[in-house]
Amino acid sequence: MASKTLTEGGSGSASASSRTPRKSALHRQGWVTGVMMVLPYTIFFLLFSLIPILYGFGVSFYDWSLLGDKTFIGFENYANLLQDEEFRTNLLNTVLFTVVSVPLIAGFGLLLAVLVNGIRKGQAFLRISFFMPYVLSVSVISSIWVIFLQPYTGLFNRILRGIGLIHSEIFWLSDSTLAWVSIIMATVWWTIGFVFVLFLAGLQDIPESFYEAANLEGANRWQTFRYITFPSLSRVTVLVVVLQTIASFKIFGQSKLITGGGPAGATKTVVFSIYENGFQTFQMGYASAIAFVLMLVILVISLLQTMLLRKLGE
Amino acid sequence: MLDRIYPYVVRIAAVLFALMFLIPIFWMLALSLTPERGSLFSGGFNVSFDNYVTVLNRAPIFGWMGNSLMVSIATTALVLLLASMAAYSFSRIRFPGSKVLFVLFLSAMMIPGEATLIPLYLLMRDSGLLGTRTSLILPALAGPMGIFILKQFFDGLPKDLEEAARIDGAGFFKIWYRIFLPLSRPALAALGIFTFIGSWNDYVWPLISISDKAYMTITLGLPMFQSSYNQEYALPMTANALAAIPVLIVFLIFQKQIIKGIAFTGGKEM
Repeated sequence: MASKTLTEGGSGSASASSRTPRKSALHRQGWVTGVMMVLPYTIFFLLFSLIPILYGFGVSFYDWSLLGDKTFIGFENYANLLQDEEFRTNLLNTVLFTVVSVPLIAGFGLLLAVLVNGIRKGQAFLRISFFMPYVLSVSVISSIWVIFLQPYTGLFNRILRGIGLIHSEIFWLSDSTLAWVSIIMATVWWTIGFVFVLFLAGLQDIPESFYEAANLEGANRWQTFRYITFPSLSRVTVLVVVLQTIASFKIFGQSKLITGGGPAGATKTVVFSIYENGFQTFQMGYASAIAFVLMLVILVISLLQTMLLRKLGE
Repeated sequence: MLDRIYPYVVRIAAVLFALMFLIPIFWMLALSLTPERGSLFSGGFNVSFDNYVTVLNRAPIFGWMGNSLMVSIATTALVLLLASMAAYSFSRIRFPGSKVLFVLFLSAMMIPGEATLIPLYLLMRDSGLLGTRTSLILPALAGPMGIFILKQFFDGLPKDLEEAARIDGAGFFKIWYRIFLPLSRPALAALGIFTFIGSWNDYVWPLISISDKAYMTITLGLPMFQSSYNQEYALPMTANALAAIPVLIVFLIFQKQIIKGIAFTGGKEM
């Protein structure tokens, strides 16, 4: 077994040689235990992460139908992707959604955290209110919003009418721009609690002395935020932006369930492409190629994050 | 002047925002308690549980919630077990190659689950697991986030306790079980909450794997049930309420721990 060879192979390690014989025996026993404790996870990792990734990469070079008819076609799937009008539209939709929703969620989340951080009485109530939607599932929030946004019967138009913002019914889900606005509103409402909680924790970690110093210097509220609060939150901000960017790139549930990808395909996304090509027209190879493009994009974002964090750490 | 009114502005803004978040949820509850073609907007609000009875008769909501519970609890328990063992080994034992393995697992954190939908589908189909509840649990166990979070936590625990235990002759496994697990209850709770919510909310993989109504999770079954209603909102909204109420109750009871847990895992995820 692998664990045995590993233990024997490493017996000359520097850390063990300087110890007493008894300790070194324990150390050796430790290697066996160490390997045994990592092994169960490693099996699942191999079976459901590493092998699928490699398998999927392989499939992306084939014309692969559901029933298993497969022909090796090299990079043809990837070449076809570049020509695929619908994929390009879906990719562009996803990028636009990400570009709009990430700053919105991060900015609004930070605003809520700053507001709540300044309030002692009733803080728990506010925290609960902002976080509550986050625990609901994508199906529940999507359905709530579909019904909420209905013209004539939905509450949203009624509220907007009531405060005088609109004067005629708005058909939120029938217009391509408004459909995206709807998805973004629902997503902000659903996920902002997570971002808010991260920012609030970050705010509470800032030492009181920082603010006292700013006070002594006679800084006003905005200056304090600009030069003390915001820089102290840089790690949290990077984290939030990266997590949100990755999550936004993977958007599927909201667009499937709120708009069904419509009107006329206007709210389809990259994962939507994977779903449709893979499980509705059953072009497994083509869908795998799309999945690889998605993975590459997310990998680049993650690497940029690592670099940014390292820079901040200096 | 501005300084004087600032605290009030903050409070009013905060309450208005809180209303924005609460209104859709209250509206869901209100609609579910109003009979169709009811009186929510035409004055006179008479509460009725008819919608709940109708929905429960037409859709196996409790069965779906049972499936969700089963899948989420199994996933969470197994993730905690696998991740805490591996994280302990990486933090305290170290064997030749353990560093390389850890880095390999870490780099897998950058790979989105959505990228492996096709190969997972093929593998599950060929192994006969497609469409089972087991198929919903297994892929979630390969996520490395738990190892990363728990290793960070274990690295921060003082070495004195285990040294004492080791002198008393306790092995690594016993130290993990007797000392590390009890000491890391907050971290385990945080990871558990995170994993549970993720599993409960999973939509795309169940959508692909499960086709039999009896094995659907609530997240998957709910939209399927609702899609048969058009221009009728009370029953779909009642189904939402049925799916949401238990989750909201659990959230309200444990809100402090849940919010803390999310802050903890979220903050560690870097």
